[in-house]
Amino acid sequence: MSKRTFVHIFQFFILLAVQVLLMRNMVLFNTAFCFIYVAFLLFLPIQMPKVFLLVLAFITGITIDVFYDTVGINAAACVLLAYLRPYVLALLTPRDDYEKNDSVNVHKMGWRWFTVYSMFLIFMHHLALFFLELGSFRALGFTLAKIFLSSLFTFLVVIIIQLLFFSARRTNR
Amino acid sequence: MRNLFAFIYRFRGFLVFLLLEIVCGFLIVQNNNYQGAAFYNSANAYAGRVLEFQKEVSDYFRLVEVNRALVNENRRLKESLTNIMVSDRLDSIPPMPDSAYRVKPDSLTLAQQRLDTTGIVREFRFIPGKVIKSDVRRVDNHLLLNVGSTQGVAPGMGVVSSNGVIGRVKSTSRNYATVYSLLHSKMAVAAKIKRNNTNGTIRWDGENYLVANLDYIPRHIQVQKGDTVVTSGYNAIFPEGVMIGRIISVATESDKSFYNIRVRLSVDFNNLTYVYVIKDLNKPELDSLQIKSGIAKDE
Repeated sequence: MSKRTFVHIFQFFILLAVQVLLMRNMVLFNTAFCFIYVAFLLFLPIQMPKVFLLVLAFITGITIDVFYDTVGINAAACVLLAYLRPYVLALLTPRDDYEKNDSVNVHKMGWRWFTVYSMFLIFMHHLALFFLELGSFRALGFTLAKIFLSSLFTFLVVIIIQLLFFSARRTNR
Repeated sequence: MRNLFAFIYRFRGFLVFLLLEIVCGFLIVQNNNYQGAAFYNSANAYAGRVLEFQKEVSDYFRLVEVNRALVNENRRLKESLTNIMVSDRLDSIPPMPDSAYRVKPDSLTLAQQRLDTTGIVREFRFIPGKVIKSDVRRVDNHLLLNVGSTQGVAPGMGVVSSNGVIGRVKSTSRNYATVYSLLHSKMAVAAKIKRNNTNGTIRWDGENYLVANLDYIPRHIQVQKGDTVVTSGYNAIFPEGVMIGRIISVATESDKSFYNIRVRLSVDFNNLTYVYVIKDLNKPELDSLQIKSGIAKDE
């Protein structure tokens, strides 16, 4: 168990607590939701084994589902995110591959890399989440508005977390 | 055989993904059933405790508001009690046998005596509970109450607040209960327009948590803006005449035989504290009769 593992476990509990206690009640303009707990999955190490990532995503989603009374919906969206993540990472590989101590960090990987990576995954997660919640394709416009605005909101909060808690210096260890 | 294992190993990511999504799909479908697995929702003891703690903290900031609502409810109850006291019904009740002069009877004994003399059997019992979680902005909204099976709450019971209809109990644990809010895509409440007793169904369309639709009101009925909509009491969930809301708009479409009626709900779901779970004491009898006569199937 390295120090990094503890950091991720810590992130898991903090983000879940923030999601359940704070973000659950915070909805902007009745359309923009914030699912900040996905940041835990986004910030996991780059070289994470696929299967372990999927299982972690499932556990995270189910935990959130328990508090939201939406059994399986968050879990399904999280598992989709975890499945897509390695492909997105592969697509975004820098010219000379990821270095050993590379991590998902806006200072380390650059703004463009980070924006594409997190925005795409957050969007896919929200897309799955809101359509599963709806259970059909009625109220399409309103749902799409919810998806876009919520993705933007979640992304903004992810960026804020990165800027506040992930310093450029710390990752150079 | 080795090839098979090699194949499974090669596509392990996709296969695990598929497996987990199937599990999720199974859970989603199962949860739509009326009595879902009680553990996987917020009625389980751990989640309930966390949410209760959160509610306790946030309630401190709304104490004034909550007190005002309770005082209002008290005032209303007092008024209706006074109305009963001064009405001529009082005279029909014999004075207490052991009192020489007529005393002001206690409201409970008054009601009990009235029921005893008229032969009406008491039908509904109210179990007070506190809302510790309430959503309004999702497609399927739920509430979490701090009363459970220990207090006599069971799935299927109706929930009301002092302002009107709230929803229906979905599942219970020992000390908590989850409730389908009226703001749930699969929730429908048998309703009627109070002025002319026309029956319809209240459904929520998923957008604004203050407004719901009243369906199946035929076009030959006179409907006005501002009409009161109450429960019809046609099912054993809610008593008759519980407030639902007021009509805010009536529209007709040329190809439909029913009105499009919008109702402003009397309950602010974003701001709930105390509610009552309704236990219908006649429900077992009603249900068994319906099943016996083949009208309703066992849920």
